[in-house]
Amino acid sequence: MNRRINQKLQENKKLLSIYFTAGYPNLNDTVSIIQDLETSGVDMIEIGLPFSDPLADGPTIQDSSTKALKNGMTTETLFNQLKDIRKTVNIPLIIMGYFNPMFQYGVEAFCKKCQEIGIDGLIIPDLPVDVYHEKYQATFEKYGLSNIFLITPQTSDERIRYIDSVSNGFIYMVSSASVTGSQSGFGDTQKAYFERIANLNLKNPQIVGFGINNNETFTQATNHAKGAIIGSAFIKHLTAKGTKSIKDFVNFVLN
Amino acid sequence: MKDTSNTMQQAPETIDSSSIKLKICGMKHQENIEQVAALQPDYLGFIFYDKTPRNYEAKSIPNIPEGIKKTGVFVNAEISTIIKTVTDYNLQAVQLHGHESPYYCSILKSTKLFTTNNVEIIKVFSVNDTFNFNEIEPYEVVCNYFLFDTKGKLPGGNGYKFDWSLLNAYPSTKPFFLSGGIGLSDVDAIKTFKASEASKYCYAIDINSKFEVEPGLKKVSALKAFKNHLNNKNMNFYNVDEKGYYGEFGGAYIPEMLYPNVEELRQKYLEVMNEPSFKEEFNQLLKDYVGRPSPLYFAKRLSEKYNTKIYLKREDLNHTGAHKINNTIGQILMAKRLGKHRIIAETGAGQHGVATATVCALMGLECIVYMGEIDIARQAPNVARMKMLGATVVPAKSGSRTLKDATNEAIRDWINNPVDTHYIIGSAIGPHPYPDMVTRFQAVISEEIKWQLQEHEGRENPDYVVACIGGGSNAAGTYYHYLHDEDVNIIAVEAAGLGVDSGESAATSVLGKEGIIHGCKTLLMQTNDGQITEPYSISAGLDYPGVGPMHAHLAKTGRAEFMSITDDEAMNAGLELCKLEGIIPAIESSHALAIFEQKTFKPTDVVVVSLSGRGDKDLNNYIEYFKI
Repeated sequence: MNRRINQKLQENKKLLSIYFTAGYPNLNDTVSIIQDLETSGVDMIEIGLPFSDPLADGPTIQDSSTKALKNGMTTETLFNQLKDIRKTVNIPLIIMGYFNPMFQYGVEAFCKKCQEIGIDGLIIPDLPVDVYHEKYQATFEKYGLSNIFLITPQTSDERIRYIDSVSNGFIYMVSSASVTGSQSGFGDTQKAYFERIANLNLKNPQIVGFGINNNETFTQATNHAKGAIIGSAFIKHLTAKGTKSIKDFVNFVLN
Repeated sequence: MKDTSNTMQQAPETIDSSSIKLKICGMKHQENIEQVAALQPDYLGFIFYDKTPRNYEAKSIPNIPEGIKKTGVFVNAEISTIIKTVTDYNLQAVQLHGHESPYYCSILKSTKLFTTNNVEIIKVFSVNDTFNFNEIEPYEVVCNYFLFDTKGKLPGGNGYKFDWSLLNAYPSTKPFFLSGGIGLSDVDAIKTFKASEASKYCYAIDINSKFEVEPGLKKVSALKAFKNHLNNKNMNFYNVDEKGYYGEFGGAYIPEMLYPNVEELRQKYLEVMNEPSFKEEFNQLLKDYVGRPSPLYFAKRLSEKYNTKIYLKREDLNHTGAHKINNTIGQILMAKRLGKHRIIAETGAGQHGVATATVCALMGLECIVYMGEIDIARQAPNVARMKMLGATVVPAKSGSRTLKDATNEAIRDWINNPVDTHYIIGSAIGPHPYPDMVTRFQAVISEEIKWQLQEHEGRENPDYVVACIGGGSNAAGTYYHYLHDEDVNIIAVEAAGLGVDSGESAATSVLGKEGIIHGCKTLLMQTNDGQITEPYSISAGLDYPGVGPMHAHLAKTGRAEFMSITDDEAMNAGLELCKLEGIIPAIESSHALAIFEQKTFKPTDVVVVSLSGRGDKDLNNYIEYFKI
């Protein structure tokens, strides 16, 4: 398991993880956004590698991706922006993106580059667990990367246990049947789902994503889970307020 | 047969299904026998029954390798005739196709000739759904094998398959031959069967009429392909494998949110499609509602112009004006059987959207069609059609606001509605099992071409099959039954747009690289950085940045020849068909027609072109282009 992720998961607190799209709002905001998130008290960061056709994402993240690509973001550019990131940032950094750009870069080359930079894990929504297990797991492990899988309310217990067995970090628990950024508040169905998963006593802790946008949903989501991920709500904040008030957003969620 | 175990011979070991034996039956011509024997089947069958065109009339059988058992097939022959024939032709097995009784078999078995030479007795039973397996019991001790054939009018080969699941009731442990209408396209079904309990004692596959040029004359290339596939030597296997791949292409690269839906479909689609009631409903609707079979039309004046024999498969005459309806009929029946009551679809030009809205109206199901905002503006008549048919048309406002974005939106809808919704994908694309399922629904096209061409030309196989390719569903259907017939050349026609090098093109096989789009690994137009690019063609049905994974495999293996046709070439070919044959084709289909200006065929070549759709929807394009 990746050291930084592991240490973070050991901490006796609920974790706040933030997603943002690299290259948005401006091409060269990447490093300062990461630094500001860390100093604002965020525990972990998902750096979104933009993709032209992000089919698991809603309009907010798709629009930010389209803009980021228009700004000139590429895989190589992102790696260049991040090359000195470990001189200033200590929290776990995860790259989240779709499989095709990684596939074109070369999966091994991509993983190697991540290790050089100090990336700790990857979330690739459209790389299915069986393909990963069969073809790529060895490569990811060779470069010390945790691969994070998604589970949803529709995922069977049997499959969750399989995913748990293949995972080495945490499990990304999608709060409801939806794409990103489409929920407001959690109902009884979701709370029941949170409990069901908690009762499975999985070896990997779970971090909840999709539908978290304020302190109330953060608290509900982390009642049973180890932490929560915010994406669309943060992108909306960046769109509305720019990159100067990241601390306000984090305070708004945590307090 | 629970009470008869004491009369059974010692049970043979369970058959190793990986080494299933092959019997090729109905041999007749000397040279052909030698060619077929060179493929080393386990049994070669010679029919001694003068009421069949495959009756073996020669005085001897050519020398063939020793390991092959020469088998005489008889129908109610005198025992003395059998003895004489086995002696004269040096047969190692006899196959009894008539009403030979157990007593008859026992006499035969006890003759000196049979005991000394270990001549095998294979007793045939014709099976249908009323077949009673108790019938076979008295034969247990007097023959070596059973052979199960389809019950039909004639003794022996009727060329049709029976429902193999009936063998679930097989009460015996005697190894049997599986027979009746088995062809190249049944390799998948045989593999599925081999994995089932019913096949436990299946010893051999018996094939005959589906591998013939004419009765008694076997197609060696097709037999060779069949034998290789049966033994998993699939160097050149073009169908999907059990993991959902065509060679290296295909698979299911989907977010976990879609897994339950896609997995449910994957587990059930073949089972559902093989249900007799499903087949019956599907075929009935294709006939009465779609208007199938669509004609195979000999285009006389077009043929004269290009000095070759051109046949048009008239998918344009289907209800709703294109091949698309074949797939939507199949998928709506699938959705109903899966208990879904909400249907979603993506559409580019609106053809698939109309076909989906049509079947939803037919079945009374809710229909939501996603369509790029730009396409909605360009294709107003089809938007109106969908609305008239009761569908809701939702504009896709993301990305480039065209087909690929409509597809993204449909996928998002499916993620948001995982339980009650079925997604009818309109082409042979998407995660497994979609490419295979769509291909199988469209395969009716080549199934019909086979018998129609037999009527026209006295042969099932043309020299070329030609189809245009966007995602590739009409092409997949046009090629399907010819994929493994190496004597049939496959031509795939892509849209070059303003030219392959112009930057405004949709020629995926030339411009694409391996990548992942909409859930499958295939050839894909993309930047070096892996971002999917926007294709261009004057034809809205061909401007998809990818191509179905089957076609990617056909391109990579060289099985299909890929050609690129520009907007101009297609438009002119379309107008030419109007003038020469009185048919206004869809611009998509015009791309396929345009190859005759590029490629020369022999006067004797038979070229079948899929005329995938009619041109009504393209009138504005034609008017604008030709300033009509």
